[in-house]
Amino acid sequence: MIRFIIEKELREIIGSTKFAVTFGVCSLLIILSFYIGAENYRTLVDQHEAAKRENLRQMEGLTDWFAVQQHRIFLPPQPLATLVTGVSNDIGRMIEVHGRGELSADDSRFNEDPIYAVFRFLDLDFIFQIVLSLFAILFAYDAICGEKERGTLKLSFSNAVPKEKYILGKLFGSYLALAVPLLIPILIGCVLLLILGVPMSGEEWARLGLIVVAGLLYFGVFLTISVFVSSLARRSSSAFLMLLVIWILAVLIVPRSAVLIAGRAVDVPSVDEIASQKNRYSSQLFTEDRTKMAGYKPAAGQDDMEKTMADFNQFMQKIADERDAKMQEFSGQLNEQRENRQRVQRRVALGLARFSPSATFSLAVSALAGTSLSLEEEYKEAAVAYQRDYAAFMMQKTGMLTGGRVMMFRSVVDEGKKPQPINAHELPEFVFPKPALAGTVTESLPDIGILMLFTIVFFFGSYLAFLRYDVR
Amino acid sequence: MFATLLQKELKSILLSPKFPATFAVCAGLLILSISIGIHEYQVTTRQYETATQMVTQELREQAHWSGVNNRTYRKPDPMQIFVSGVSNDIGRWSGVSQFEPVKLRHSAYSDDAIFAIFRFIDFGFIVQVILSLFAFLFTYDAINGERESGTLALTFSHPIPRTTYLLAKIAGSWLGLVIPLLLPVTVGVLLLVLFRIPFEASHWMKLGGLLGVSMLYFSFFVTLGVCISSLTRRSNVSFLLCLVAWVFLILIVPRVGVIIAGQAVPVPTVAEIEAQQDAYSKDKNEQHMKSMEAKFRDREALMSGMTKEQREQYENDHMWSWMEENDADQKQITKDIEAQGVKLQEDLRNRKALQERLAFSLSRFSPASAYQLAVMSIAGTDITLKSRYEDGLRSYRTILNAFTEKKQKETGDVGGIRITMDSEKGMSISAPKENGTLDLTDMPQFAPPANASVMPVTDIGILVFAILAAFGGAIAGFLRYDMRS
Amino acid sequence: MEQTPATQPMIEALGLTKRYEDETLALDNVSFAVRTGQIYAMLGGNGAGKTTTINIFLNFIDPTAGEARIDGIVTHKEPLKAKAKVAYVSENVMLYPNFTAIQNLDYFARLGGKTSYTKNDYHDVLRRVGLEDEAHTKRLRSYSKGMRQKCGIAIAILKDAPAILLDEPTSGLDPKAGFEFLGLLTSLRDEGKAILMSTHDIFRAKEIADMVGIMNAGKLVMQRTQSSLAGENLEELYLQFMAGSVERAA
Ligand SMILES: Nc1ncnc2c1ncn2[C@@H]1O[C@H](COP(=O)(O)OP(=O)(O)O)[C@@H](O)[C@H]1O
Ligand SMILES: [Mg+2]
Repeated sequence: MIRFIIEKELREIIGSTKFAVTFGVCSLLIILSFYIGAENYRTLVDQHEAAKRENLRQMEGLTDWFAVQQHRIFLPPQPLATLVTGVSNDIGRMIEVHGRGELSADDSRFNEDPIYAVFRFLDLDFIFQIVLSLFAILFAYDAICGEKERGTLKLSFSNAVPKEKYILGKLFGSYLALAVPLLIPILIGCVLLLILGVPMSGEEWARLGLIVVAGLLYFGVFLTISVFVSSLARRSSSAFLMLLVIWILAVLIVPRSAVLIAGRAVDVPSVDEIASQKNRYSSQLFTEDRTKMAGYKPAAGQDDMEKTMADFNQFMQKIADERDAKMQEFSGQLNEQRENRQRVQRRVALGLARFSPSATFSLAVSALAGTSLSLEEEYKEAAVAYQRDYAAFMMQKTGMLTGGRVMMFRSVVDEGKKPQPINAHELPEFVFPKPALAGTVTESLPDIGILMLFTIVFFFGSYLAFLRYDVR
Repeated sequence: MFATLLQKELKSILLSPKFPATFAVCAGLLILSISIGIHEYQVTTRQYETATQMVTQELREQAHWSGVNNRTYRKPDPMQIFVSGVSNDIGRWSGVSQFEPVKLRHSAYSDDAIFAIFRFIDFGFIVQVILSLFAFLFTYDAINGERESGTLALTFSHPIPRTTYLLAKIAGSWLGLVIPLLLPVTVGVLLLVLFRIPFEASHWMKLGGLLGVSMLYFSFFVTLGVCISSLTRRSNVSFLLCLVAWVFLILIVPRVGVIIAGQAVPVPTVAEIEAQQDAYSKDKNEQHMKSMEAKFRDREALMSGMTKEQREQYENDHMWSWMEENDADQKQITKDIEAQGVKLQEDLRNRKALQERLAFSLSRFSPASAYQLAVMSIAGTDITLKSRYEDGLRSYRTILNAFTEKKQKETGDVGGIRITMDSEKGMSISAPKENGTLDLTDMPQFAPPANASVMPVTDIGILVFAILAAFGGAIAGFLRYDMRS
Repeated sequence: MEQTPATQPMIEALGLTKRYEDETLALDNVSFAVRTGQIYAMLGGNGAGKTTTINIFLNFIDPTAGEARIDGIVTHKEPLKAKAKVAYVSENVMLYPNFTAIQNLDYFARLGGKTSYTKNDYHDVLRRVGLEDEAHTKRLRSYSKGMRQKCGIAIAILKDAPAILLDEPTSGLDPKAGFEFLGLLTSLRDEGKAILMSTHDIFRAKEIADMVGIMNAGKLVMQRTQSSLAGENLEELYLQFMAGSVERAA
């Protein structure tokens, strides 16, 4: 029995012009988003390589590691990030690393190329979140009340058909008919990635697979919501209107309001305030040290230039280390305060936003793509780790660390020895670890769970509503 | 006649269940967005003020003019409440000092990425996305729905001109949609006044411009909905067509336009430009070296037959001109290199401008992007916001640098600690004493670039053209419409 | 028609009463019986309670009091068992507009538990109800109301159930189609079906019904066999009962 109903549902949906048109549009969009993602990735890789090269090239011709004041590192583009952009275009991609001192990322893509900020990107997240949810509504809004209007519900139930079987057939049938065909353009998209030579590791394919799974789950949420509303409404036009309102709420209102409510409820000290406090403190520390420096007397009777220099370096290093330690403690505190508040704010915002399946979906896939808010933190962490390597390297080369207000100019006028240019490639290279499969899965698991919960709730909602539905 | 038809149209819209739903959603959204916008504006203004104060404070505590590490923040504009545009995406401040070039950095979204996740929802967005959807919802069955219910044939059993009927249809739906737009906007305006948002005459004019363009925009969607309805026989077909049109016009065309332009007109990155510049100057210098060598060889060759005295004499005679020649060469090279730098930058700008132009022209195939670009440029939050600010900051930087230099000379201090090592004199350290606080009274202040409100003539033209085209389509479809149900 | 009183009626209403939530009394203690091989015509104006009666037989609604039975099965107690024995033609058959007639038939036949039909069977039954061959593979959306109605009857025939309920089946048919339809009904009766049909059409009712009931405002105000109506003018009777109701109401 259920089989006939599923079969009929498949045939009815797939045979309709409505399906041909909308499926065509959705397929086009999905394939387009893969294509754009791949092209975008290539552009970003080129830019990234050029920036790295330029950074090293600027050191060419230098003959002294002392002259290397800072080193720039860049967040490498990730193939998945172009499919699910998340915050990857919003956060800073470049960090100037000094031997010591705090790091801050700058040059977000939207800041560099505001042209892309005007209309944003057409990524998989967007297509699923906005277009496919609309697609689900469009097909399921009259799932029940439309049949009633056509009289087929009465005719069906003049047969010995149990209602529960009917609604189950309806739900599974429409899901099969609508969701499974979507796999075709997605597969084409994947082939496109291969053809366009986007290097994807096995883990990345697995993550992409999970993104698709989350997408289909999200599609299921909107499908079951639509069937649910359809089995509550008497007329299909009112069901559609109701669903449109729900869609607007879920896609547009709830997520944004959640963030704004959280912004209001939890105060986070602004970056400027903190920066200014740090500046002032650092300035104060430096003023103290200034007197110390002025008071420095080279060991008496030293003739050996090298020795004097080494002594002085040691002295400078010592006060700089002390200053650095104090500064680190101070800004560590401030940062921690801000981060804690930020964390609370984020928890509130995201917690509220998850009332909307669209927000939940978006969070799940950005976690899987590695473009969630944690990308920012991971990048910072990687940068801090790199800073240590860099500092060790510079220490070994120059015997001291620059940065944090101290700049070294060494102008040596001597010896006629032709100075050897430094080899910039000796610098340790910054590697940004690709997010591990396990980590991203764990991060996205709660959201996938919530999506499942939504599906289950509305599945049973439709089931129960239909059992009480008046088929006349 | 027209009045009767219009009345019926309005009545049927106002009484339909669609209306309260539309009205509630629009009113809720618009008022929400405006009040959020007001809040955001207040917060960013406060942030801006504190930040600016802090900078001044820090400056005052500085000891030397040379160390002046000035930061200038972008001033929030109240028009942001209605159309946020790129204002959250581009940097909030730039350093303005001798040591660094002007560059807006740290966008609001990059500082607090949480707000970037779900973006901002403003008036422009609501009109562009939601109101257009509702416009379709009200008009997709304007003609064919009446045919299906048989009222069309009934109506035209009376002597009514078709164009009158069509006009009444469009006008009725239009009026039905204006209410959900204008009432909440009025409330929003009251909120502006209530919260004392500094709205000057120019802002009110801009707001008027926004509303005008918005009306044009949804007139287009109303007309297009009626057009689609009068070109199809069944309302569920026109419904589908409207939805597909909506997805394309609002979601696809604008984005694809930008992406195509990005592919078609590649813009070199800053890094690439710098590399080119470097290669050029290296090349020039090498050439110079070569020509110098060649000249030396020539001179040597000329002098080869001379005795030592003659040679010295010759050298002495020519030394000056040689040096001049050399100097001129050197200068020429520097000039060339600089010119090349300017040229490369110019090229970069031009290419960027070309890319933007292409992107926007392509995306303007959709009236939705024409609308978006129009409201952004009216509100002054369009893509040129960044370059306008940076240009303003650059000229400010020149003024400020001149000022600090002058001050430096006056106070005779370059600041900083200087440690000098000399093989003869040994090491000496000079750490000038504090100068106390700086007097900032006559320091030049940055004036935010005047928000040149350009009337987006092209975009308005596009909207008007689109309305006329849709209207033409509607008339063509309806004059030949088969009324039988 | 010879009747064997020993067999139990196929379609039977026993003191059926229905009061809707809004207190409308749609049926008031209605009892009647239709045996196999009988056509029962339920006459009555709009709002008399005909559709309500049929809806109770299909368990679309529960009766407030009394019982509706199909082959002795109480419909609101064992709806599925009862529905297995009923075929139904509704007042306005829409069916699935995107399906062809054959596809619609196939689906509903399967829902009715008939899985062994072949394409030819479908063509046969469609021909039997008077649909031209070229229409069989057209989508229902292009059908006229009469064609849809014929399709609905074909579905009822395919179900091959002992009881058939028809709610104003002739309302959208032209005279010729109406005439053919009556022929179809008599042939179904001759196959041994029990048929309950609600209608406004007095003349046709008189022509083919073995039993005629007149309903007014929820009451079965008259019930006569065809033989007892032989010499009478049913139209007059109908109007009398209607008028009677006016008197009663007054
Ligand atoms: N769902 C309902 N709720 C309340 N009253 C109803 C409902 N359905 C029908 N009625 C009322 O019951 C009476 C009988 O209706 P119905 O059985 O449809 O009449 P018929 O089919 O003979 O025209 C009418 O007065 C009608 O208004
Ligand atoms: Mg009825």
